[in-house]
Amino acid sequence: MIAEKTTQAFQWTYNENDQEFALHGSLRPQNAEELSGCISELEHSVANVSGKFYVNVRRLVRMNNVAFQAFACKILDLVHGRSDLNVHVTTSSVVGWATRKFAVLETMSDKITVSEYDSEFYPGQSFVEDSEFIHVLRTQTKLTWHHEKDLLRKHGLKPGMQVADICCGIGDFAVLMQKEFSPDRLVALDHSKSSLDYARQVAADFGIKGIDYVFGDAADMLLEDDQFDFVTCRHSLQVFDRPELILKELFRICKPGGRVYVSNEKNSHCLGEPRGESIQWTYNEVAKLWHHFDMDIEIGPKSRRLMLEGGFEDVTIGSFMVTSTDGDPQGFADVIASWKNLFAGKMASERGDDAAFVERFAKGFDDHIFAALHPKGYAGWPIWVASGRKPL
Amino acid sequence: MDYANGGIEMPATSEGSLPRPDLPQMLQMDLDIGDFCSNWAHCDLLSAYLARMVSHNRLDSLLFSNLYSSALNELLETVFRVHGKSGKLECSVRRRDGLDRIELVFPADEETFRVYREAIEKLSGGNAEKLYLEALFTEDEPDASLGLLELGVDYGARLSIDRTADGRMCLVAELALEDEKE
Repeated sequence: MIAEKTTQAFQWTYNENDQEFALHGSLRPQNAEELSGCISELEHSVANVSGKFYVNVRRLVRMNNVAFQAFACKILDLVHGRSDLNVHVTTSSVVGWATRKFAVLETMSDKITVSEYDSEFYPGQSFVEDSEFIHVLRTQTKLTWHHEKDLLRKHGLKPGMQVADICCGIGDFAVLMQKEFSPDRLVALDHSKSSLDYARQVAADFGIKGIDYVFGDAADMLLEDDQFDFVTCRHSLQVFDRPELILKELFRICKPGGRVYVSNEKNSHCLGEPRGESIQWTYNEVAKLWHHFDMDIEIGPKSRRLMLEGGFEDVTIGSFMVTSTDGDPQGFADVIASWKNLFAGKMASERGDDAAFVERFAKGFDDHIFAALHPKGYAGWPIWVASGRKPL
Repeated sequence: MDYANGGIEMPATSEGSLPRPDLPQMLQMDLDIGDFCSNWAHCDLLSAYLARMVSHNRLDSLLFSNLYSSALNELLETVFRVHGKSGKLECSVRRRDGLDRIELVFPADEETFRVYREAIEKLSGGNAEKLYLEALFTEDEPDASLGLLELGVDYGARLSIDRTADGRMCLVAELALEDEKE
């Protein structure tokens, strides 16, 4: 259902399967009567529920006290009037006021619980937030920037544009774009507070000004529609279980006529010689491992289809290979070593892999490093880059 | 602005007390109170616009804007509901470092001024949080002071009111919305 006023719009949905009533958008009515349709739907939804009833306000961006009072009193009425009912409210830390405001409900009844939905946004979040991973992320950016600096131009990035880097991670790519392309505005968004802290610190240490690092959920950003000439999102669709949701948001914040630029991998195409067979086996297993955690590290060549299905036009796609012969074989080897630590370490362990598998799995990474550092060897890591224009 | 006799000041409910330096002004919007009150959506429009304007250089512009808009909207909604008959509404926003000040000057007769004074007095007592919760969960229509109570209790805002030289009143909210450790 959608209710719209001059400047405010809110929606509500009910998922019977999850017993979850969700509120989205902006709720600043003048009178509680304006919410009567939504409140009636809430009552209707809860009528057939016993046990736990979920109220999801993660995507509720604004709410005044009129609206809060109406919903809060209704929730209290429900738990007071129904002995078989408990209510759980889920908020998001992205919306600054929400958790504090709804937390008062817990003080009014022990049948109401409130929690902040956060760490489970993305399946890979806990892996990539590991602070030990920062060094390898910086090295990865250094290796890919060597190629992307020119590719960004070919895909339409020009100086003076309004640019957003979504899923900016530790923010180093945003810094490089700022230096190279001098955008008029550069917003860099990520859902890792620790990564953003690091990004802000690096920008301050390097005297970089003009990058607006913001906390947010890429699948539902607070950024307004049609704002940016060029939107980048690198190596990130592959860590989401529903990449089309992210792409929809990238489309939304992009200006009509602007372009969205995504880069992704197809890890099973990593290669090296000598010891090519072992390397290939291991990277095929990497794809399976990521799939186990609901992530698709093979998404690279699928980017074109995703963009076309997402409504983009003039979609262009290509690939480049980061190799050990780009000038920094040790940097390349360091990246592979960190993959080994993460994939054959924490991730394999969490999947419950046995020692024999892990030994063979790890050997492929060692062989990739061997190929990268071998005087006559060659090692590669392919990356697909796609961009599409939002129709005018 | 005349902060002379009669000014009521409320210490922040959070620990410590915010300083009151003369904060540089960033923006001011003036409009007729009748025009402002002709459409409820003006509260949302003004708060969203001003929040966006003053948030660009904060540590996290989106988070700050969201909080600032919420706080300013409650102030504007309060003024929308409780104000004098005619005159000009001035909304100015000021800042120094992490301290933001919102000043709303608007027409107010004695009854209007009394409503604000009583709301702020509630905050200066030791049971502000209890009063806030009572106002929040009342069965009746929301009290006009609810937004101010929320700002004091939930946002740790320091609120004050005063009469201006031209007979209007000034409602001031000082807020520290951004945790410097973030």
